[in-house]
Amino acid sequence: MSINLDFYSIFLKYLLNIVFIYLNNNHFEGFKLLLELKDITIPTEDGKCVIVNNISFGVKEGSIHAVIGPNGSGKSTLAYTIMGLQTFNPTQGKIYFDGIDITNMSLTQRAKLGMTLAWQEPARIDGLTVPDYIALGMKDKTNMKEKVREALEIVNLEPERYINRTIDESLSGGERKRVELAAAIAMRPRLIILDEPDSGLDMIVIEDFLNIFNKIKNLEMTILLITHREDIGMVADYGTLIWRGNHILTDEFPKVMLRYCAKAGLKEFCKRTLFTNDGKCFDEDYIDRIFREEGTL
Amino acid sequence: MTDSDYPEEILQSLEDYNIDMRDFLPGHGGGAKLLLDFNKIKGVEQIEGIILKGREIANGIVADVVIKEGSKIEEPVHLCFGVNKEKGIQEIFPRIIAEDNTDVKIQAHCSFPKANGLIHKMFGHFYIGKNCNFNYSETHYHGENSGALVAPVAYMYVGENSVFENNFNLTKGTPGKVKIMLDIYAMKNSVIRSNIRAFGKNKKDSVRIRDAIYLEGENARSVLKMRAAARDGGEVLMYGITEGNAPHCNGHVECSEIVLGKGSICRARPFIRATDPTSSVSHEASLGRFPQKWLDELMAKGLTEKEATEVLIEAMLREE
Repeated sequence: MSINLDFYSIFLKYLLNIVFIYLNNNHFEGFKLLLELKDITIPTEDGKCVIVNNISFGVKEGSIHAVIGPNGSGKSTLAYTIMGLQTFNPTQGKIYFDGIDITNMSLTQRAKLGMTLAWQEPARIDGLTVPDYIALGMKDKTNMKEKVREALEIVNLEPERYINRTIDESLSGGERKRVELAAAIAMRPRLIILDEPDSGLDMIVIEDFLNIFNKIKNLEMTILLITHREDIGMVADYGTLIWRGNHILTDEFPKVMLRYCAKAGLKEFCKRTLFTNDGKCFDEDYIDRIFREEGTL
Repeated sequence: MTDSDYPEEILQSLEDYNIDMRDFLPGHGGGAKLLLDFNKIKGVEQIEGIILKGREIANGIVADVVIKEGSKIEEPVHLCFGVNKEKGIQEIFPRIIAEDNTDVKIQAHCSFPKANGLIHKMFGHFYIGKNCNFNYSETHYHGENSGALVAPVAYMYVGENSVFENNFNLTKGTPGKVKIMLDIYAMKNSVIRSNIRAFGKNKKDSVRIRDAIYLEGENARSVLKMRAAARDGGEVLMYGITEGNAPHCNGHVECSEIVLGKGSICRARPFIRATDPTSSVSHEASLGRFPQKWLDELMAKGLTEKEATEVLIEAMLREE
């Protein structure tokens, strides 16, 4: 009898795992995926180590999708690989943008298809004016001045104060990041990859950035948000958790965040901050179950 | 003088710099001006607070510009040294004096749109008195043929508590053979900002610029920025010198040069020297290509690498 019980408990756990995996891999069933990664593995430049290991997930069109994970988990590497930077080449797997295989396309080709990346620490370039920089990626340059002003307003910069500035050291870190966002928005891409837009910013500024992300979303652009901060990620509809280069989970963002907290053993923090999409906290038992699964309860 | 008295080719020649020379003709705008067509003076216009005189000599002119003590000159003073010939020699001997407590901006345009063996020489003396704000900007265009042989030499004295901003631009057209020597002497509490920009575009271009700043007065400060690019066999040498010879003076030399295409050569020779133990002089130099991250940022906006490089060169050589 005890053998049978053990057998049933193992079988039940097996079934639950299958259901869990099925649900995690089908969270976007019926939705159009703008970006899709399939079995992507990215090595270090010398090829001796693997930074990102066999990752697959999709990004729904029109959503804010956060990729989270601790420092060094491979998030930025993934962002650069999706954008097609020269030194970031996957050794296996495919990347699809709007159904097109872009794995072997150049950075410029990918940008022309309708994707761009706003850097964590954008460069300071003497002599390049803010309007010229913002206008670089505009496909239609008619009414350029007006479009530049509009992009500056979206990122909450007063146009009059910036149209005669250059993107040099005279801009603060926060101002430079906003100009970078404005340049990305002015392109009117379908996908903006934001690499750690929160780094080096204070809390008040971060709140402002969250509003900007929502404005971008309302312009029917999809955001892939690379971050390791839960407060930035909370603006996201969906999330993907990467842990030591491995894909752990892609789901609605609060569930992903809960899994992140469970892996990191941050239960009190998790209880304080995590809400489901309808504004309610996760059920305590559910939180305990996730932490138990990760062995951090 | 009417607009038609001055060669149309020269008037149009600085359009790539976004400069319309018609704005500087006598009768246009309120600034003082002196216009030279090869070795003939075509127009002089003085305003209150300025003495502006020119005298023709065998191969050029002697020009005197005096800003009278205490004068604040609103409109820039315009000096146009144009040549609308392929060959010939133009020699300019400017003597520019800013008396104490003056504020002025001088724009010199040296345009030789048809140059093909032309020689342009300048031997200038600048004396800037005490408590002055003096801005000197010199823009060159040597045509699209084979450029000119251009060899200006200038000595500049900057008095106590004065600010001297120097801008030299040779970034459009083909320069030809250019050898420039500037010596700037900075007195007590003076501030010098010197920006040099040049672009050698083919095998005919050899640009050598030596800009030396001597910090001779206590607490004198300077920043010398030399920016250049060489393409398709062009050659550029930027020789930036700063000497700290007085207590608590502070100077910095910065050379940035970009090499494009085979056979092009960029050389930077920042030279710093300190003879006072309380002085501070530093330098930095970078040559080669733009950082890959800069290119990536622009390419992520849909530009090709070539387009991104062009944008960055344009930015690097743009007047601040």
